[in-house]
Amino acid sequence: MRLTLQMLISHGRVARRMGLNPQSRINMLRNILTGLVRHERIETTLGRADEVRFYAEKLVDYAKKGDTDEKAMKMANFWLTEKDLIPKLFKVLAPRFENQSKGYTRMVRIPNRENLDRAKMSVLEYKGNPFPPLYPARKENELTLINQLLKGYREERAQQLAAKQ
Amino acid sequence: MFVTMATRAVCQNVQRRFASTAAALRPSPAEVRSQRNAVFSREQARQRALYPRIEKIEVSMQGPGLEGTLLIMNKGMSTPLSCARHLTEHHVNNSALALVDGQLWPLHQPLTHSCTLTLLTFKDKDPTLVNQAYWRSCVALLGQVLETAFKDDYIVELLSTPEVPVTSGAFCCDVVLDPQLDSWTPSEESLRSLTRGAQLLIHQNLAWEPLEVVPSVALEVFSHSRCKQEEVEQKASESPKGTVMLYRCGDHVLLSGGPLVARTGLCSQYEVTALHNLGQGSWGLHRRAQGLSLPLQLQAHHTVWRKLRQRAEKLVDIPKHEEVAPLPAPDSTQPPAASA
Repeated sequence: MRLTLQMLISHGRVARRMGLNPQSRINMLRNILTGLVRHERIETTLGRADEVRFYAEKLVDYAKKGDTDEKAMKMANFWLTEKDLIPKLFKVLAPRFENQSKGYTRMVRIPNRENLDRAKMSVLEYKGNPFPPLYPARKENELTLINQLLKGYREERAQQLAAKQ
Repeated sequence: MFVTMATRAVCQNVQRRFASTAAALRPSPAEVRSQRNAVFSREQARQRALYPRIEKIEVSMQGPGLEGTLLIMNKGMSTPLSCARHLTEHHVNNSALALVDGQLWPLHQPLTHSCTLTLLTFKDKDPTLVNQAYWRSCVALLGQVLETAFKDDYIVELLSTPEVPVTSGAFCCDVVLDPQLDSWTPSEESLRSLTRGAQLLIHQNLAWEPLEVVPSVALEVFSHSRCKQEEVEQKASESPKGTVMLYRCGDHVLLSGGPLVARTGLCSQYEVTALHNLGQGSWGLHRRAQGLSLPLQLQAHHTVWRKLRQRAEKLVDIPKHEEVAPLPAPDSTQPPAASA
């Protein structure tokens, strides 16, 4: 628990409150998580994405137990409101993250919502999805003109230093 | 042809007897330039007239995101650049060279047959060929600047320049200045004015127009310069087809050992860094102008640029066997391979 001024003022109410009541919050998160499992990359407000992230990771943990496990099937049945996604969870997502023990999702902040209320927005995705990467891959090319020039420069410097010693 | 030979002989005789009137008889650089230009234009018009009817060819594009693109172009009229214009502005602005059926092809040279076309940029996976062409183009630009920088009474002869690899740090252009300038040593200011001249040309964004000609036309273009004529003969004997490549940039016609990039506007940072004395050669006092340049797509931070610039001021050493018979850079790697 972080001790900050904001937490002091909150009078012990530190959990993020969303929805009309706890039941409504659960229902909302269920719907978002179902969307995440279907599309593998979704865009939502930052608070909701942050809340769903925990459940999304936990669901994969359960799915790794296999579809014969009673608890895992119960969890999948509860969190996925669209039942055609249950096979996808066990057959696609669970094998994908076999070698990982955590960190199945990635959350990235995007510009604030413009059309409605300027809410903080973010993108939530399962790793290993087929979409183009969120961050451009850095391209290192040793053969470009400037890198070749710098390579020549470095080699000459190394020769000079070697000659000095 | 015979007439010009005869007049030159007369000129030389006169030059020997009345050295003071020689300057008056010698054609001024402006006249030489306009004559070269006129011959170039005439030959270009003749080659264009070879295709009086519009015939269509199929050009299939290759490259990232272009698989399966088929363009119907005009034979002997459409260039790789006009193919790029059918794609996106990015292709037009960033391509420096083209690869037609695996052969390097200048961007402004008309296509003559159905082929596969790849547009090459500076940021390709393997831009070695483009880098070499860029270095060659920078040499051509430097030669153009040197030829126009001096007053009209001084004659500037560009020698055939040995190609240096990019890693040597600077491109170099061998030149013989007028005998009157033998004692002249270039100051910082004069180098800066040469840089300025190059940057003016870059700003004009002139195209390097290629033209493949038979040696006799090239000899006519360079009828005022004995050393260029020898270079033409040498290049013609080396090339398998027996032809030489001429390029025109603005009103300057030059001879090139390989393809040049599309236009001067591709250079962004350009600096003439040094003018070294190489000693007496067969044509007079040889000098080597050196420079450094980077294309628009790959610009350097000023700290990096300063380091590269300091390195470019040093005289580039070229192995002796290349100086005797200048070979293009790829050939210089062949002799060790052959001996091994």
